[in-house]
Amino acid sequence: MSSLPILELRAVGKSYGANRVLKGIDLTVQRGEIVSLIGPSGSGKTTALRCMNFLEAYDEGEVWIKGQLLGYRSAGRAERDLDSEKSIADVRRPVSMVFQQFNLWPHMTVLGNVAAPLVLSKKADKGDAYKQALAALKRVGLVEKAHAYPASLSGGQQQRVGIARALAIEPEVMLLDEPTSALDPELVEEVLSVIRSLAQDGMTMVMVTHEMSFAAKISDHVVFMEAGKIVEAGPPEQLFGNTRTPRLQQFLKPWFDRSLTSVAGVE
Amino acid sequence: MNSFLFLIPRFADAILVTLEVSVVAAFIGALGGFVLNALRLRFPRLLGALYRIYIWLVRGTPYLSQLVIVYFGLPVIGVTMTAVQATIVSLAIYSAAYFAEIFRAGWASIPSGHMEAARAFGIDRWSAFRSIELPQAIAFVMPLLANQTILVIKESAVASIITVPELTMTASDIVSSTYTYIGPYAMLIICYWLLTQCVAVAFKWASVLIAPSRKTS
Amino acid sequence: MNPPDLLARCASYLPQLLDGAITTLWLSAIAVACGFFAGIFIYMMSVSESRTLSTAARVYVSVFRGTPVLAQLLVFYYLPSGLGWAIPGVVAAAIGLSMNTAAYQSQILGTGFTAIPRGQIEAAKTFNLTRHQTLWHIEIPQVVALTLPALVSEMIDIVKASAVVSVIAVTDLMRVGQQLSSFSYRPLEVYTLAACFYLAITSMLSLAGRGIERRMARRA
Repeated sequence: MSSLPILELRAVGKSYGANRVLKGIDLTVQRGEIVSLIGPSGSGKTTALRCMNFLEAYDEGEVWIKGQLLGYRSAGRAERDLDSEKSIADVRRPVSMVFQQFNLWPHMTVLGNVAAPLVLSKKADKGDAYKQALAALKRVGLVEKAHAYPASLSGGQQQRVGIARALAIEPEVMLLDEPTSALDPELVEEVLSVIRSLAQDGMTMVMVTHEMSFAAKISDHVVFMEAGKIVEAGPPEQLFGNTRTPRLQQFLKPWFDRSLTSVAGVE
Repeated sequence: MNSFLFLIPRFADAILVTLEVSVVAAFIGALGGFVLNALRLRFPRLLGALYRIYIWLVRGTPYLSQLVIVYFGLPVIGVTMTAVQATIVSLAIYSAAYFAEIFRAGWASIPSGHMEAARAFGIDRWSAFRSIELPQAIAFVMPLLANQTILVIKESAVASIITVPELTMTASDIVSSTYTYIGPYAMLIICYWLLTQCVAVAFKWASVLIAPSRKTS
Repeated sequence: MNPPDLLARCASYLPQLLDGAITTLWLSAIAVACGFFAGIFIYMMSVSESRTLSTAARVYVSVFRGTPVLAQLLVFYYLPSGLGWAIPGVVAAAIGLSMNTAAYQSQILGTGFTAIPRGQIEAAKTFNLTRHQTLWHIEIPQVVALTLPALVSEMIDIVKASAVVSVIAVTDLMRVGQQLSSFSYRPLEVYTLAACFYLAITSMLSLAGRGIERRMARRA
């Protein structure tokens, strides 16, 4: 008997005007699972991710976090009754997010950035908040930069601060929106290694990414999306090794070719 | 209703006075500002410092203080004027400083690269300037000139203090003589607002006529 | 008119002019401060989803920027008293100047708000900062830093605009000048001296503004 999934999407749909971007997405994420969303641009994977913490208000279906409905007062297509800001905040509290463009707040120090969600939520007093923030910074290896400003950091360091900020609130699920896409290639590995170590510690993650090798190695579950639908979902061995879906084969071809050449030592 | 109808002719006269004073002062001020800027460019060492002092004095003090110096202060050294004359003179001096700065910015906005390009293509200096730089500078300067003219119209209200029969003076007059408040003050606000909107629109038309916008690099 | 007498007379004007200058200064300060918060409020209204609110904001800005300060002050001072509720001159002056500068500040601050990348707001939302917290902890510190030179410029304009409060019975610098000049029958000296006070205030603000601009350029 599987326990209550920590995050669940049921027939989630989203339209922007006449453009239907998500066409009925079903996804279940268990505690401790690493789920990767892959697919071509425009497939809706980022939109799906943003529906998971109600950054986008989905139009159809339901998003459940730890058994609570996110964003609306009651389930069912007839009731699109938007929930109060406070209730939405309560439901989405266990979820945090890491952004492609880092989205750090430039007028605050690194420590300020990481501690701000804690300090402003007033759940802990300032001293504890800063302690927690420092612990998160230690986890990503940036304690010495605590009093620097984001502008003086490299892209990889800024993203690690973003991860620390997402960690400091002690989330139960982390959403990662293409965390390395905006980074110079030489800076990608430092971020991936932090994500890898968090995964090893048992953090539940849903990640939209183009880093296929990385996704193949750390995911428990991979989802391939195209044109707003899930085309194939399953363990990484199935999608990356053994897929029958021609569209997925086509999508992964460049990655296959590159991995083959590197295996053959031509690198 | 009667009192409202009574308002209209008086306000119509008042609008004319406001316009007369503002337009004349703005025109002289714009001309003066243009000449000042041209002189500054022509004789930088002689006039540069004088220009900057003039700008500093005029832009660093309220218009009201300049008006009272001209109207109440100058008679002490023998220069007397009527209220209207003092208003036009002081408003022209005041706005000339702002107009001069606008023309200075307009001149500085002309990229020197364009001139070289024109010369490289063999077009002679004056016609190159006329067809390339001038329209661009005009397009740049027009909204600023419009804005400054509007500012002159708004400052003209200050002349009510020395009893020039413009809009503000007229409204105050009606209020104190008839003890009605809402009608005259509403008319006052509406008249000024309409004036400023019309000037803004007029300048937009003028700038389209004089220098149709071209998407040049 | 000989110099020692002139200097002596000017010296005698100084204390009162100083008082007037102080009134001008704190009136302007109140207007700047109230105008700042009101300006934020008006900007928020202008970008709200409600058509009524955004139109109201646009009308407000258009009216207060499209009409003279003097006319606005006269309305704020005489209209209530005509309707039976007399307000002291200083109060009308403070309200009028604040509402006037709020219209201008809403535009200035607005450019700052639109310069902040949406992503920062999304991050705030993600981490459950309330709208209020996002506004005051994330947006406003950056907006002020971005628009400080323009805000200083507006402060200078407020000080100059405040001269017309002399008309509604506020003993500001200009009013003191009027009183002194009618008392001494020496309008040229008195008004010139008063103008010098204004010049001093605006020049200091100007220098401060340029210092800020230089410091910002260095940090960038």
